[in-house]
Amino acid sequence: MSYQAANPLADEFELELGGAWTAYWLAFLRVVTGWWFFHAGVTKLIENGLSYGYGPAYLQQMTGTALGPLPVWMGANLGWLIEAMVPLGETLIGLGLMVGALVRLASVFGAFFMTLFWVGNAGFGHGVVTGDLMGLLLFVTMIVLATGRYYGLDAIIEKTRFVQRHPRLKYLLG
Amino acid sequence: MQQHTDIIDKAAMALSGGLMLLGIVGLGIVEVLAGAPYGAAPVTNDAGEIIATPMVDPTIRTGLVIAGLVVLLIYGLYRLATPVEEVEATTGHETMAD
Repeated sequence: MSYQAANPLADEFELELGGAWTAYWLAFLRVVTGWWFFHAGVTKLIENGLSYGYGPAYLQQMTGTALGPLPVWMGANLGWLIEAMVPLGETLIGLGLMVGALVRLASVFGAFFMTLFWVGNAGFGHGVVTGDLMGLLLFVTMIVLATGRYYGLDAIIEKTRFVQRHPRLKYLLG
Repeated sequence: MQQHTDIIDKAAMALSGGLMLLGIVGLGIVEVLAGAPYGAAPVTNDAGEIIATPMVDPTIRTGLVIAGLVVLLIYGLYRLATPVEEVEATTGHETMAD
């Protein structure tokens, strides 16, 4: 057994991206993050269907934020879309992450949702690092590390002939 | 496996990381050094009146983080739009012993 002073983890617990512990933990994080969003979405669907009225109202109160007039405009002009897309989007993002399909694409939308929540909730009493920012960073982590490849369907989808012929799709999968 | 990074990768990493760290950590340090309130939101009394405001407007700090995320998004779209580099096949090289 060797010991590397520069990297003490480089033995049996080496955190290589192909290592067993890394795969286990990234898959776990992905499923929990997915469940978080799936639960938020599916309960809205059960209670309000595709008419989640709080969505547009929430966006319209987001005045004077770093996102400028964008959220207020969305709330005022895209209300019908927001009412449907908040519950549906959260459910689909969560489902994608849980089964590990189209994880990078789903996580881009997840990061978009979390940016709105982080800025909109503005719970900055203890600094700008809030639970919402941590959730946002989790989605970015899903994208950077392509967590769908760890015990996820993306590992299988990426081996199909179609994806092999169009390798750019790996930027949406993974 | 050594991953190849070009100037675009490095620029995206430096710019996005720099903007986000400036918004979260850099201006956070400024906020702490400026004294109370240490949070990033205005402090209100029981009547809801603002009695102290943070030195750095949270809009600026969140704006910097969002700018960093936008850089990453643009980088992702750029990667999606550019052709994927062919992976060079590693050719085995055997040398016969004398």
